[in-house]
Amino acid sequence: MSNEAVISAQRVTKRFGTQVVFEDVSLDVHKKEVVAIIGPSGAGKSTFIRCVNQLHPFNGGTLEVLGHTLTGGGPPPSREVLQDIRTRVGMVFQTFNLFPHLSVVNNIILAPREVKKIPRPRAVEQAMELLAMVGLEHKAEMFPRRLSGGEQQRVAICRALAMDPEIMLFDEPTSMLDPELVGEVLAAIRRLARQGMTMLLVTHEMQFAKEVADTVVIMADHHIVEQGRAAEVLDAPATERAQVFLRRILKPAEVDEVGEVAPARLRGRL
Amino acid sequence: MQAMFSAWVQYLPQLLKGVGVTLELTGLSLVVAVVFGFILALARLSRIRGLDLLATWYVEIIRAIPVLILLFMAYYSLGQVGIALSGMTAAVVSLGGFYATQYGEIFRGAILSIDRGQTEAAAALGLPSSVTMRRVILPQAFFAILPPATNQLSNLIKDTSLVFTISLADLMYQTYAALSINFLPMDMLLLAGVIYFIFYLVIAKFLGRWELNVQRSRY
Repeated sequence: MSNEAVISAQRVTKRFGTQVVFEDVSLDVHKKEVVAIIGPSGAGKSTFIRCVNQLHPFNGGTLEVLGHTLTGGGPPPSREVLQDIRTRVGMVFQTFNLFPHLSVVNNIILAPREVKKIPRPRAVEQAMELLAMVGLEHKAEMFPRRLSGGEQQRVAICRALAMDPEIMLFDEPTSMLDPELVGEVLAAIRRLARQGMTMLLVTHEMQFAKEVADTVVIMADHHIVEQGRAAEVLDAPATERAQVFLRRILKPAEVDEVGEVAPARLRGRL
Repeated sequence: MQAMFSAWVQYLPQLLKGVGVTLELTGLSLVVAVVFGFILALARLSRIRGLDLLATWYVEIIRAIPVLILLFMAYYSLGQVGIALSGMTAAVVSLGGFYATQYGEIFRGAILSIDRGQTEAAAALGLPSSVTMRRVILPQAFFAILPPATNQLSNLIKDTSLVFTISLADLMYQTYAALSINFLPMDMLLLAGVIYFIFYLVIAKFLGRWELNVQRSRY
């Protein structure tokens, strides 16, 4: 990992009206680093990564992305800046968002053709290579609705990669999938991590975060409550809020009605 | 019955002379309605202050006015202020201008019905909004557009008959001319009805087949 930060958030704040979505979020993502953001629903994780490629504007702080400085509450970035960020930052969504009227291969080549003006044969060739990487080259001519959720998400990853991005954003890429289909999508993301892709990943898969992420950020109650080396944060969280969150998700069967995890020795009597 | 058929055969050529005008009027008005309607939809969806308001007012006002009044305004009232339009132009302007409000609302609804995730996915790929509209939104909106658009087209076809009031020699005009001479209003109006019906049937069948073909090719 080099020291160059490709994403650098300084006290970024986002509100919808008077409602605070997240506040004072500061974090860096370095080249080739994998950063996983975990935390309870409603903490603002997804909204934060959508600010990185400006699907949402934000209200305060500054966000540097690949050399562009975005200022919260300031004038919106110019079309050129927006275009530059979005072509260099790929995104994979929770709900896949494939284009249902286009075949798999046409989903993948649309942006390279329209934005980068890559000739069709070259774009198709590249798309087939990407599909082969995720084991889906035989589905190239199919339409998205014929594919399983796991297959759709792998195609969505290919679609983002076809733009040859420098950073990949993943917004809960497996949370809409049947449990048995999660593994194939995680495998594709893991492979990307091994190839040195810079990634910012919102996930609920703790084991996976621990395995692939260099840095883990825990967001709760609209703030970052803890961030650091993945193993340290996940195995020995320092803050109480992080401890509570991790206890609840790691041992869901032991959580009582008020959300507390009862000490093991008491549980026999309850 | 026999008498009616012979009357039909005798006057069919005269009525068919009007069919050409009706077809031309329908076609031209449809083009105006679709193009202008699309502009209205984009204007109403745009964030440019004033433009959306202007389009909204146009839609709300024009669609509330009877087409006959619009037609008379285009033909007579504009003439009064020195803008003399031919019968055909006045008819196309009023029918096209009225049906643009209908098509505009159909397009706007269909565009809004497309899942937000589609626009977000396109934006995240760096697609400019014009490409997103052309390659992502409109192809999907097509299915939401076609059924109500066909419905409005059937209304447009029928409303072209209003132009007989400004003496444009369409099917209705020829029908009226014929029955004024032969005093067979039942026979003549039935025949005109049958011709309008066939006209609509052919178009509806064609559009239905088109929709089916596109649907089949996609899924």
